[in-house]
Amino acid sequence: MLQLEGVGLRYGRGPEILRDVSFVMRPGDFYFLTGPSGAGKSSLLKLLFLSLQPTRGSLRIFGEDVRSIAQDKLPLIRRRIGVVFQEFRLLDHLSTFDNVALPLRVANKSEQSYKRDVMDLLDWVGLSHQARAFPPVLSGGEKQRAAIARAVIAKPQLLLADEPTGNVDPVLAKRLLHLFLELNRLGTTMLIATHDKALIRQATKPAMHLEQGVLDLQ
Amino acid sequence: MKPGPIIPSNVASLKSLTVTMAVMSYLACLAIGALILVDRAVTNWTSGLAREMTVQVRQVKSVDINAEVEKVRKILDGFPGIITVEVLGPEVGAKLLEPWLGEGSLEGLPVPRLIRVVTDEEAPPDLAVLEDRLAEAQGVHLDTHRKWEAELTRMARALTILSYAILLLISVSAIAIVVFATRAVLQANRPVVELLHLVGARNSYIARQIDGRFLRSGLLSGFMGVFMGLLTFLLLGMTGVEAGNGFAAASRSLLFASPDIAIWSYGVLFAVPVAATAICLVTSRVTLLRRLGGAM
Repeated sequence: MLQLEGVGLRYGRGPEILRDVSFVMRPGDFYFLTGPSGAGKSSLLKLLFLSLQPTRGSLRIFGEDVRSIAQDKLPLIRRRIGVVFQEFRLLDHLSTFDNVALPLRVANKSEQSYKRDVMDLLDWVGLSHQARAFPPVLSGGEKQRAAIARAVIAKPQLLLADEPTGNVDPVLAKRLLHLFLELNRLGTTMLIATHDKALIRQATKPAMHLEQGVLDLQ
Repeated sequence: MKPGPIIPSNVASLKSLTVTMAVMSYLACLAIGALILVDRAVTNWTSGLAREMTVQVRQVKSVDINAEVEKVRKILDGFPGIITVEVLGPEVGAKLLEPWLGEGSLEGLPVPRLIRVVTDEEAPPDLAVLEDRLAEAQGVHLDTHRKWEAELTRMARALTILSYAILLLISVSAIAIVVFATRAVLQANRPVVELLHLVGARNSYIARQIDGRFLRSGLLSGFMGVFMGLLTFLLLGMTGVEAGNGFAAASRSLLFASPDIAIWSYGVLFAVPVAATAICLVTSRVTLLRRLGGAM
């Protein structure tokens, strides 16, 4: 599913943010990604959700080399990836419902076909009462839950999450972890970047450690 | 509840584009109006000129000019393709020379006599044969107005080319304005566009979310331009009622022509909103797809 070999990344002429990163994730794998702030976790995730291209090395996703993916194929690959952004990236002019439904809407699905699923998922993450509210009035935790709901609504094959429990209380964090584990049990491959050691302990899943751009498979 | 618009309409509003495109449409209407008027005037002039000829009989020493005029009239009367022959009195020739020679000073001068000839448009006379026949009389010159017709046609062609050039410039400016406006909308909505890409939106899907606004802007500005253009022609027509010619008469003839001409004129004028909409829609779509294609 994911194959990185000697991947390096630098922004412009700056120093290398990621150095010789190599790892493989097979379908159904569940990994945590840990490391101090500034270690390059978010940059690595950006590479994986095709927001950036590696400056060297090879990155293959779903069997495709990212450098040779045709423009018209890119959206289809991105639809197989769910992303939870650290800064949520909700659209302020859309309601919580519309934000969560966005991946289905851009795939040209009708509202009729996804309305029930979106409401069920909002109910599950405890946001059904905020379905018609807009992001500026949501709390940090609510925004995070909406962002997670948006990432999983289209049942992606690969879920990438950047600090998905950073703004929620331990009870909700545990609930979200169960959601991730359940999705993984149903076949979704997971890579979750987090600082939350308790979460990693609870999940009993392997972790990769990134420090100063170098990845250490623990 | 209807899903909200994916691209917010209040970010990078297209009001300025609508106003600018309305001005462009207005200018296009004026240029088209001028084009129609020139075309109509030239058609009238040239058909009038083509139907008419003048035969000039000059005084020749020791020849009776009246006898020559009568000889010419007889030739013309029976000639195939000639409908009307009108011998103008000596005072007409004198009147034509008045601006140069002044009033009452033509006594005893050899002023030529003029004969007005109206030809059949469907079956015009054979001019070569006619000239041969007219040579039987002395001091005769046939003026077919071809020179004037050629001058008028040349002037009309120049005005027509000028009007088309103005229309072309307006179109090019309009395209440039729409390109800039499209870039501004994309720039202002960059975070939204980025997110749409990341959740798997195709470029064509994103373009569709934006170009609907350009379609509305083009349509609205086009109709505003035509409305202002028609209002201008109406005001010009109303303000110059007394004059009976010039801009006023031209504007009135444009607005209140006979139905067969009016349908064509209004049809061409109302092509402006269609063109403005097409320019907005096609240019924004092409610009969007090109710019979005450059983003990963």
